[in-house]
Amino acid sequence: MLSIAEIKRGLFSYEEATSGYVASFKSAADLLKAAEKTKQANVKLFDCFTPCPIHGLDHAMGLHRSWIPVLTFLGGIMALILGLSYITFIDVFNWSIVFGGKPFFSWPAYIPILFELTIYFAAVFTVVAVLVLGRLGFINRKLPAAGVTSDVFAIWLGDANLSKADVERILSGLPADIKEIQ
Amino acid sequence: MATEENVYHIGKPFAAMDDDVMRPIEAFPTKLWWGAFGVSAFAAAIGLVTIVYSWFVGLGIFAINNPVGWGFFIVNFVFWVGIGHAGTLISAILFLFRQKWRTSINRAAEAMTIFAVIVAAIFPLIHIGRPWFVYWAFPYPNERGPLWANFRSPLLWDLFAISTYFSVSLIFWYMGLVPDFATLRDRFERYKARSKVGQFLLQVKAIAYRAMALGWVGSAKTWHHYEKMVMILSALATPLVLSVHTIVSMDFATSVIPGWHATIFPPYFVAGAIYSGFAMVMTLMIITREVFKLKEYITLKHLENMAIVILVTGMMVSFAYTVEFVMAAYSASHIEQYAFINRIKGPFAWAFWIMFTCNVVSPHFMWFKKLRTNIKVLFVISIVVNIGMWFERFVIVIISLHRDYLPSSWDSYDPTWADYAVLVGSFGIFFTLFLMFIRTIPSIALAEVKADETNDALAKHH
Repeated sequence: MLSIAEIKRGLFSYEEATSGYVASFKSAADLLKAAEKTKQANVKLFDCFTPCPIHGLDHAMGLHRSWIPVLTFLGGIMALILGLSYITFIDVFNWSIVFGGKPFFSWPAYIPILFELTIYFAAVFTVVAVLVLGRLGFINRKLPAAGVTSDVFAIWLGDANLSKADVERILSGLPADIKEIQ
Repeated sequence: MATEENVYHIGKPFAAMDDDVMRPIEAFPTKLWWGAFGVSAFAAAIGLVTIVYSWFVGLGIFAINNPVGWGFFIVNFVFWVGIGHAGTLISAILFLFRQKWRTSINRAAEAMTIFAVIVAAIFPLIHIGRPWFVYWAFPYPNERGPLWANFRSPLLWDLFAISTYFSVSLIFWYMGLVPDFATLRDRFERYKARSKVGQFLLQVKAIAYRAMALGWVGSAKTWHHYEKMVMILSALATPLVLSVHTIVSMDFATSVIPGWHATIFPPYFVAGAIYSGFAMVMTLMIITREVFKLKEYITLKHLENMAIVILVTGMMVSFAYTVEFVMAAYSASHIEQYAFINRIKGPFAWAFWIMFTCNVVSPHFMWFKKLRTNIKVLFVISIVVNIGMWFERFVIVIISLHRDYLPSSWDSYDPTWADYAVLVGSFGIFFTLFLMFIRTIPSIALAEVKADETNDALAKHH
């Protein structure tokens, strides 16, 4: 069973890289190894920055499964229920009028509209969820390392008790370019 | 699949890819671009002026009347909505089927979807006569009685379908752009302006791209949610795109007009939409790769794949035409039978035969490898197919409406200058938007191309 704390951690895992050390790599394979080593070294606060999504990186970092599908489902089901209630209110109670000999509550004719509403709100919930959980919209955020939106793969280690020597030890054997950020 | 991967493998350093993709945005536009933009903007102006003129003098300047009350408006509407479908097919359905070749064309194809739907939406808006009352179609509590929209009407379904389709395509497209906007944002430091005005414009642009990038820094935790979102939006857009043209076809199929009242309509319309949409993607991709030097990203193999899709959907459309005729012959309804005889022999038979030649005959050239790998042939066929698909909608709307049950109510349809002006204008608006898109927005999904390259390399290591 999932505890509330675990759900919270899964939902709001994003941490701003404001202090600590950033190690930059030229290849994704090195970053994957670095992420694994960092996780094994029991560093709590760390994140990777890449120009593109990398298969297996979420696993290497030990990220929880994304909660986005659950929120999509909630958005869709909410739109379906509210939409059907609204149309029923209009066609059965507020403006009951016979069209083409059909019953007031002619549910087959409502399918297209309810379908579109479901899709629309499922999509909107999904995107809003990504904006909130992925912490997007803070447009003045600084890049943790130069080039991570182009061709650099970087990892940030943010635990307060880490020194540069610790980071070098954790990432030993990898061609890392380590810098401190403030 | 090893050989398959090699075909689409670009194998360039990522920084060089950035340069390639951002070049159209960063360089001053070529004369060719200005020429194309000038022609498109002029055509758009013709259409827009005509539309505004019609608001002053009324719909009488168009040829719509009894019995052809739909005319060019609905022909153009169905045509443009159909064009849009290929974009969603490439961005969503081919994504779900793990078709890697979609990666480098999906951004431009989806832009095309959005512009096509914008253009399509103009036509019902003019057609309702008083577009400033369009909000009456939305079911909100109002002061007009209790007077609500009719939820049993396919026209209202269509309103919901098109608005949902437009919104979902737009947010899907925009979210796909966010990482690329971030790439562009981080390139702004290297630009220098020569004049004070140039400096000011550069700053405005930098702020605009910074805002649109939403503070993206490529965090793995964001990517983690983001990738799930791409998957989900694809899964949502797939039934959505099929529903849209299904519902458009229901505008026709739920009526009792001979030639329209047929159950084949939904699949027939969806196949036709993909067919014409792919032809339009092909036209645009050939122009884009030639003009903006993106041949490494949009390869001959991409065009060949699209040609095969055109061949397959072209045959589906041909099959649907056949089914229509067979069902009419088998229906034992002489009115239904006459509707189809009128198509091939009536006063608008020329439109039917143009449609038939363009849609049924021309895709079969794609059977030959030599022809479907020849850019010139592909370019011509892609335009021919779209002429045919425009005439398909002309055949469905005009021929069916001008002669239905009562011969005493029959009449002809003679489009006026205003109909042609709006048709020309629709192409103008579409191409103007597309040309502006290429100049301001990364036209290749850079992050996705990089992801394919990176993950292929990683898979080989393990």
